[in-house]
Amino acid sequence: HFDHNISPTIGASFMTKTVPCGNELHKFLIWDTAGQERFHSLAPMYYRGSAAAVIVYDITKQDSFHTLKKWVKELKEHGPENIVMAIAGNKCDLSDIREVPVKDAKEYAESIGAIVVETSAKNAVNIEELFQGISRQIPPLDPHENSNNGAIKLGKQTSQTGRRCC
Amino acid sequence: AACARSGQRVLHVDSKNYYGGNWASFSFSGLLSWIKENQQKTDIDECEDWKKLILETEEVISLSRKDKTIQHVEDFCFGDQDSAEDVEEAGALPKLPVFGAPGAEGVAQESEKECPPVESALPEAESREPDKATGTEPATATEGHDAEITSENESSPSTALDKPTLELGKTEAAPSEISAQEPKKITYSQIVREGRRFNIDLVSKLLYSRGLLIDLLIKSNVSRYAEFKNATRILAFREGKVEQVPCSRADVFNSRQLTMVEKRMLMKFLTFCLDYEQHPAEYQDYKNSTFAQFLRTRKLTPSLQHFILHSIAMVSETDCSTLEGLQATKKFLQCLGRYGNTPFLFPLYGQGEIPQCFCRMCAVFGGIYCLRHSVQCLVVDKESGRCKAIVDHFGQRISANYFIVEDSYLSESVCTKVCYRQISRAVLITDQSLLNTDSEQQVSILTVPPVDPGKPAVCVIELCSSTMTCMKDTYLVHLTCPSTKTAREDLEPVVQKLFNLNPEKEAENEELEKPRVLWAVYFNMRDSSGVEKSSYDGLPSNVYVCSGPDSALGNDCAVKQAETIFQEMFPAEEFCPAPPNPEDIIYDEDEIVPEESGFSNSPETKPESATEESSSGDSAAVKKDDNEE
Repeated sequence: HFDHNISPTIGASFMTKTVPCGNELHKFLIWDTAGQERFHSLAPMYYRGSAAAVIVYDITKQDSFHTLKKWVKELKEHGPENIVMAIAGNKCDLSDIREVPVKDAKEYAESIGAIVVETSAKNAVNIEELFQGISRQIPPLDPHENSNNGAIKLGKQTSQTGRRCC
Repeated sequence: AACARSGQRVLHVDSKNYYGGNWASFSFSGLLSWIKENQQKTDIDECEDWKKLILETEEVISLSRKDKTIQHVEDFCFGDQDSAEDVEEAGALPKLPVFGAPGAEGVAQESEKECPPVESALPEAESREPDKATGTEPATATEGHDAEITSENESSPSTALDKPTLELGKTEAAPSEISAQEPKKITYSQIVREGRRFNIDLVSKLLYSRGLLIDLLIKSNVSRYAEFKNATRILAFREGKVEQVPCSRADVFNSRQLTMVEKRMLMKFLTFCLDYEQHPAEYQDYKNSTFAQFLRTRKLTPSLQHFILHSIAMVSETDCSTLEGLQATKKFLQCLGRYGNTPFLFPLYGQGEIPQCFCRMCAVFGGIYCLRHSVQCLVVDKESGRCKAIVDHFGQRISANYFIVEDSYLSESVCTKVCYRQISRAVLITDQSLLNTDSEQQVSILTVPPVDPGKPAVCVIELCSSTMTCMKDTYLVHLTCPSTKTAREDLEPVVQKLFNLNPEKEAENEELEKPRVLWAVYFNMRDSSGVEKSSYDGLPSNVYVCSGPDSALGNDCAVKQAETIFQEMFPAEEFCPAPPNPEDIIYDEDEIVPEESGFSNSPETKPESATEESSSGDSAAVKKDDNEE
């Protein structure tokens, strides 16, 4: 649900979301970038072990689509090799002032092998579909990789079980 | 991060294009760029435009635009002898249509550096857009890059060894044939191709499992952003051989290298050390002697004395007192067992994750981060003597109440009285472990005692690929010691003792058993940790200096420093308290607003304003490069 008065996610660092996919339940650990992307200063730690990335642009702003391409490039260069990329054209409720044609986004997504979907965070359009799409593309768990190699989590909280994405 | 956590508005500007300053870690290509940057000691042209922004009632403290904390960088590639084959492939290279990521990665970093500092970051990034991974360009750039590094080393004694770099460097994009022939033998080209698998730290440290950093990570819940691995082995180097040191009770009993008598002696001594304060009579007479002398009186065999002195207490033979030695031994023993069989933890993806984790907490609490953004000067009000603002490289004035500056940004005029220590560092990529056992995946720490008494011991940390710091079938070896000379002069003797540097002679007897070094870099890093604030000249009271990394194995120094600075600024606030449950904040506006506005002061007029920057005009703390805060 979208609330106009909510300030950007101050104090939140990740959210979780569970998506059913076939016989599996995929638990998404969604890392909020906490605004560190604003001056193109995203820390590499966000990429560590991430299974998927959702890159969002604003369909009413051509600039945001350019910025998106920059992030795709960044992810391809620094992110995990098998990362699932999804492109979300947000604000599809404002398609009458659209600057980015659906076709452009589709063609671009195809060229980089990404999922593409137009969403409206305001009206909760296609959000569920976006996550389902990612879920379908995430490769089945490799038992070796997932056994955590004996990595240690510090602190009191229970260890993370899902795959994370940013 | 602590400031943001306490509701301050924090702006973090950093002239580097990466997080963490000298605490950072790099991919292989990233490290090559870093090496190149530090070998070229060109000064940046100073632009004077910003001077018109300074009022008559104000003074200026210029900041250094060039980081001078790294010196004597020397890198070496110990190439394979496939050069004939490689030359052929190198010629064919520019025609290949698709390249692996490492090449492209190098380009991205280079183009960032080439960007003139006055230019705005945003248009720069956009102008890069059109040449998006179009094949030949990445390759040529990386090629030139390798060639340059090689030529810079030409004057050094190992020119012969460098030669293969040139040829091998060119083949990086097409090494699949080589790897198919000998899967276990790693070539330089494979290292370059798999460069992304490396996370090479500039500082080499471990976390004491009961050290201050672990406590802080848990208390602040920053630990949730990182994962750790236990150091699995403590090694010792004695009589030319590397051996494993038994240190926990289980280790001692399972050890095959110790006799029954030795086991009993060691256990008895270690048990005594755990509560040595309760038995003052045992060491009273040796208070004025060294720990080494004390050990000699304790009925321990020479090998046990060596283990305790160098591998457990990790102290100097010549100038560590009995009490210091007992303390160090106790600290080691107390850390055992909290997270496994050794007292140490290592963060997955390298030590460089730790500053990023704290930066993340800072950002989560509203901190703003600007990389590639340098600062020209501090603006000081003549009347009050306090720092009011900074002027950045766009000529923008940003006001704040508190300023935290890393030592490396201070110019020579401020530091005339300051005397720095240096740290000698070496990083090696090797093909096998120093001590092969049934498991390849070991994280080992080894203290090599000095050859000449009085010189510092060298701390060696060997990381395996499951720490996510190096590619499969390689090991990343870090050597660290306080400097007496250049890093290479300090550390090369140890490298020669432990490793095989000469691939040509590889069939020969004992050399065969030693790990081969595939690639190496040496450098000296400034250790500003011991500098008192009073030794900096003319810094206003609201400017706080944080140091770069120290040479100790643990992180206590940085944590203490961060906490001290924080307490000086905000004596009433708690340092990094546990964060509230996220749900409580996101949906509750009332809780955020008063916290945020509590300390903000009215922004001063800014002659030029980029839209993004305006929000930071009233930031309460300007931070640069500080690691743990």
